Amino acid sequence: MVTRDNNIQDFNASKSHLGLSRFLIVCELLGFLFIPAGAGLADQPPMILASAVMCERISNFRPVNPAVVFSVSRGEVFCFSEFDPVYEKTAIFHNWYKKDKLIFSMRLVLSVPKWSSFSRVQMRDADKGPWRVEIRDEDNNVLKTLRFSMTD
Amino acid sequence: MPMEQLSLLFSGWRWQDVLDIVFNAYILFRLYVLFRGTNVLRVLMAVVAMWIIGRSANAMGLVITNWVMQGVITVATFIIILVFRNEISGVVRTRSLGFFLWEIPRTQINTPVRIITDAVVKLAGSKIGALIVMPLKTGVDSIISSGTDINASLSREMLMNIFWPGAPLHDGAAVIQGAKITRAGTILPLSQNRHLASKYGTRHRAALGLTEQSDALVIVVSEERGKVSLVKDNRIDEVRDPDKIEALIKQYTGGPEPAKKMRRQTRELLVAAMVCLLCTTGLWLSFSRGMETLANYDVPIEFMNSDKKMNIIDASASRSRLLISGARPLIKALTLDQMSIKISLDGTALGKNKLAITRQNVQLPPGIRLKNIEPNQVEVTLDVMAEKQVPVQADFSGKLPEDLIMTSISVIPQTVTITGGGLTLDTVTTVFTEKIPLENLTTSGVVNAALVMNPDTLRPDEKDKKVQIRYNIAKRNSNDGTEN
Repeated sequence: MVTRDNNIQDFNASKSHLGLSRFLIVCELLGFLFIPAGAGLADQPPMILASAVMCERISNFRPVNPAVVFSVSRGEVFCFSEFDPVYEKTAIFHNWYKKDKLIFSMRLVLSVPKWSSFSRVQMRDADKGPWRVEIRDEDNNVLKTLRFSMTD
Repeated sequence: MPMEQLSLLFSGWRWQDVLDIVFNAYILFRLYVLFRGTNVLRVLMAVVAMWIIGRSANAMGLVITNWVMQGVITVATFIIILVFRNEISGVVRTRSLGFFLWEIPRTQINTPVRIITDAVVKLAGSKIGALIVMPLKTGVDSIISSGTDINASLSREMLMNIFWPGAPLHDGAAVIQGAKITRAGTILPLSQNRHLASKYGTRHRAALGLTEQSDALVIVVSEERGKVSLVKDNRIDEVRDPDKIEALIKQYTGGPEPAKKMRRQTRELLVAAMVCLLCTTGLWLSFSRGMETLANYDVPIEFMNSDKKMNIIDASASRSRLLISGARPLIKALTLDQMSIKISLDGTALGKNKLAITRQNVQLPPGIRLKNIEPNQVEVTLDVMAEKQVPVQADFSGKLPEDLIMTSISVIPQTVTITGGGLTLDTVTTVFTEKIPLENLTTSGVVNAALVMNPDTLRPDEKDKKVQIRYNIAKRNSNDGTEN
């Protein structure tokens, strides 16, 4: 009896438990409707900077002779940046500074799933001195600062 | 306008000016004391008069007169030295150092009563009759016109000679005025007094006759009795004592007593001193106020009452050019440390402040006037002291060998703390090292370099004045590729 009663009781209990589960599922589904799209990725950057270097040339999408000192006689200097992964299409900036003065800024678009991009400047005698390139995202956050010198 | 010029003349006196005038007035006064009573002084006075004429002529624009006066003064100076060389050398030789510097001689320059006394005593002793007239205030020229003009210096010998029996003029009266025997052999009007004692002869009657008509003093030496009588105001005093004779002469003639003499000399010297002072003051004014000139001075600007927390990190001008005017000697004697421009920083704020430089900010010595200030405004940037952590970047120069590249560097420490004005620090994002030459770098290694602060008002931490740079050098990859 006790067992049956228990059974009856068990049947009633399982019946009410099922109703509660259904109610919760409905609530969850309704809740999902009000969650903004991408809210789960809020803290995740749209891309990850894998590497960034100053180099003398770019060959086959790879930097050649990464260095921190460049002779103006070579004519050009490159800033190479590689992003892996890129979660969504976005843009970055290569800001070139001579000492503390912004000389040149270039916007580069990144595409999924990974992307490499570079900017370059022509070197002249007047450009000799300490330089830096700040790689910034669209929100103007500095991702990396590359420091180098232009010399004789 | 004249009042303004007058106030300008007597404004801006310095203690040096007063000392200047007093010192030179004293020199002038000493010259007067040295040469008074000599001809040199008179000629010097003439030179001074010419100089004054010359200066006046200059002020009035009389070019030739001024030029002539200057020439005459120059020549006169040489003439004085040549003509009066004996007098000058006499003064110089006979005077002591004290006399040159401070002593004041008291000279006997009054009528030599003692000479007259000596002479009459001697004449009385020799029983030589004599009649000496000493005119006083009223004079005797209208009463006695006879006699012979002599104008001889008074001396005992001369008086003895005049009254010497047998001498052509011995029978009349001798007239003494000041220190001169002006006339001798004069006939005096005789007194009609019937009560004159019988002991008195014609000389006494003549003496009495003159004193009845004038205030003159007449000295009579009796030929018969050898007595000296002083006749004054109808009264005959017979005197034997030579000192009393002298005292009575002084009393009657009103001759100065020693104390009076001293007072008179003191008065004379005081007047001379005042004249010297006035002359020197005039001379000083003529030089200092008569020759106005302009000058430009670059004077440093001093900022005062600064808030201790705030620092002046920049100023548009550290100096201001002052156009000043004043007497040429004052301008010539002017030095930069006598002038200043002080600007108060009260009421200024953080950042840039425009401050006017006005006359109130400029301090000049007395006698110097300010005409213009350029620039008349200064922009001062004030900042509070702050600290900032900034990255360090190596600054290379020169050239690496063609086959080498510097692949990486690391700076130790990577960041340093710098201190400076908050506004300045806001603009500083990186601190650079001094130039590190590349020529000698062929292999990886370490180099120490000092930090260069720009602007130099910034200060790094004492421990961070030098940083260490580790660098890696590698062979250049010469494989050529295609740029993408």
